[in-house]
Amino acid sequence: MNACASSFHKAATEYIDSLSNSKGEWLTEQRRAATQRFTALGFPDAGHEAWRYTSVEGLLQQNFKITKNTQVFPEHEVIRQFLREPVAARMVFVDGIFHPDLSDTAGQTGLRVGSLGTAMATGDSSLLGGVGSLSGLGDHGFAALNMATLQDGVVIKVPTGMTIQQPIELLHIATKGLSGQALRTRHSVVLEADASANLVERYLSLDSESNYFNNLVCEISLEDGASLIHQRAQEESRKSYHLCDIHLDIQGNAHYQGINAALGGAWSRTTVHARLGGEGANIELDGFYLAGEGQLTDFHLDVDHSVANCESRENFKGILYGAGKAVFDGLIRVREQAQKSQAHLYNANLMLSRRAEIDTKPQLVILADDVKCSHGTTVGQIDDQALFYLRSRGLDKDQAKRLLSLGFASEIIDSFQCEYLREHLREEIVERMSFKI
Amino acid sequence: MLSIKNLKASVDGKAILNGIDLEVNAGEVHAIMGPNGSGKSTLAHILSGRDGYTVNDGEVHYLGQNLLDLETEARAHRGIFLAMQYPVELPGVNNMTFLRESMNAIRKARGEAEIDAVSFMKQVRHRAKQVKLDEKLLKRSVNTGFSGGEKKRNEILQMMMLEPQLAILDETDSGLDIDALRTVADGVNLLRSPDRALIVVTHYQRLLDYIEPDFVHVLASGRVIRSGGKALALELEEKGYEWLQEGAVA
Repeated sequence: MNACASSFHKAATEYIDSLSNSKGEWLTEQRRAATQRFTALGFPDAGHEAWRYTSVEGLLQQNFKITKNTQVFPEHEVIRQFLREPVAARMVFVDGIFHPDLSDTAGQTGLRVGSLGTAMATGDSSLLGGVGSLSGLGDHGFAALNMATLQDGVVIKVPTGMTIQQPIELLHIATKGLSGQALRTRHSVVLEADASANLVERYLSLDSESNYFNNLVCEISLEDGASLIHQRAQEESRKSYHLCDIHLDIQGNAHYQGINAALGGAWSRTTVHARLGGEGANIELDGFYLAGEGQLTDFHLDVDHSVANCESRENFKGILYGAGKAVFDGLIRVREQAQKSQAHLYNANLMLSRRAEIDTKPQLVILADDVKCSHGTTVGQIDDQALFYLRSRGLDKDQAKRLLSLGFASEIIDSFQCEYLREHLREEIVERMSFKI
Repeated sequence: MLSIKNLKASVDGKAILNGIDLEVNAGEVHAIMGPNGSGKSTLAHILSGRDGYTVNDGEVHYLGQNLLDLETEARAHRGIFLAMQYPVELPGVNNMTFLRESMNAIRKARGEAEIDAVSFMKQVRHRAKQVKLDEKLLKRSVNTGFSGGEKKRNEILQMMMLEPQLAILDETDSGLDIDALRTVADGVNLLRSPDRALIVVTHYQRLLDYIEPDFVHVLASGRVIRSGGKALALELEEKGYEWLQEGAVA
């Protein structure tokens, strides 16, 4: 174990020791096992295929700490980020810690929405059962560290047959004072049979310069016939680090629709592990990423067709400008018994600069013989004819590029269901690019 | 308004225009005809500022300015509009947003205030009706999935909204059936005015039945080989381009 890993190991052990003295159910056995797991795994490096183009060196050099903090922040700055529509529940996390005053967990009768921190403090084992059920102790060092030192997050249980129409809003705000720290957030979401819900999950920084590390793991179980729309937007500061592992278990006839936008971060990586575990399971994943000067954005998808008659569709689009860098890895596995699978994967990239870089790798591993699968990847530039067309109508080059870039992004952005979010993301894209390309 | 003198231009080293002379005044409609490859579209592109052409000689003055020095968008700001032969599809770019941003870009460049949303909507609906463009297409992505006729109507709609000083129509009639041709021509005729000039580039005389030109110029091998009134177009229709090309040689 190198010096860096051993300091993380020491900090994790101290953290767990401090928890074991408190009342409640702090999952200390799992945490200690995860610490061992971390020791065995260490941090991923370029030798691991899944991390080949996504170096963690810069992240480790930041030497983020897992200290506990309480922040003073202007509440109105958080409130103005709320969705402009009625919500079924709102969970606000500031610097990784649940803020009940800004949240609304009343919800519908029978719907359980709460914070993981509260569930652990009160020892509510009915809500804690999902933690680690899909992720295990972690399949890389950061995930193991998340399990060892997880602080807070959301626990949601939608009971059998319940339909939640309005969004459940998860808002994660980083304050200026967060710089230098690592957050360990863990979400656990269970939709029981035939339940349906709509999650809106956002990550924002109040200060555009704050430098911190969000280390997240999210586990979502959809039981038979359940349906979840999951809208995610990462809009953090350009100096932050964001790592998110999403584990999905999708049972028979259940449907998961994930819509992702990754705009911020010096370094951000999202991995989606999806297991289609019952016939008729269906997953749709859409994603948009934007990376400019000093940014790396990574999406890794791993969709596992483990039984017959399931469908998956992935469509990810990225805009790279300046010296922005992105990594896309879309793996679809169709197992031998997974006949009649349908899987379609598409990745398109718009390069606005010669210095930008994309490493894209669609992978289909198909062991069944009666399937419909396809994949496609494009890497292109702004079309000269389109640029001329817009300029001949009076728009200057920057305006034309802005319109064409937004046009490129709109296929994904338009699939966000909240109108406010669509508008907001468009504005955010324009602002972040500021169109001096 | 527009004065072209001895314009010579090439693409990838191949000479396309070999000395064009043309004078266009406000209020006039000029038809430019000629066989395929005669340089008609190249002339239209060079006037609107498209990249990829090298001007080797000659001058183009527009409203007292050297046109060739101006960026494409600056020409649009000064009132030049090109209705394209092949309007470009812009997936994801809303047709109405595009129109409004274009109008405002031109207004801004002229030091005028942006158009307010209500006036814009009123105007765009009125104009769409005039060119018989389904209002649904205003809400779709620019030209994306439009039929050939819808694309051309959309071009004329843009022209009507942007109200250019000098409108250049590049083979706007190609691919249009007779009804669409009439609608498009009606739209163009609505814009005819004493302070506006039109250059209509076309291969066939047909369009000129509906948009009556004041002058007809025939291009061949990058030169104007004959200029005349609208009767010249009819003569061409009857005798074909070869008649003039032979004449030019002789």
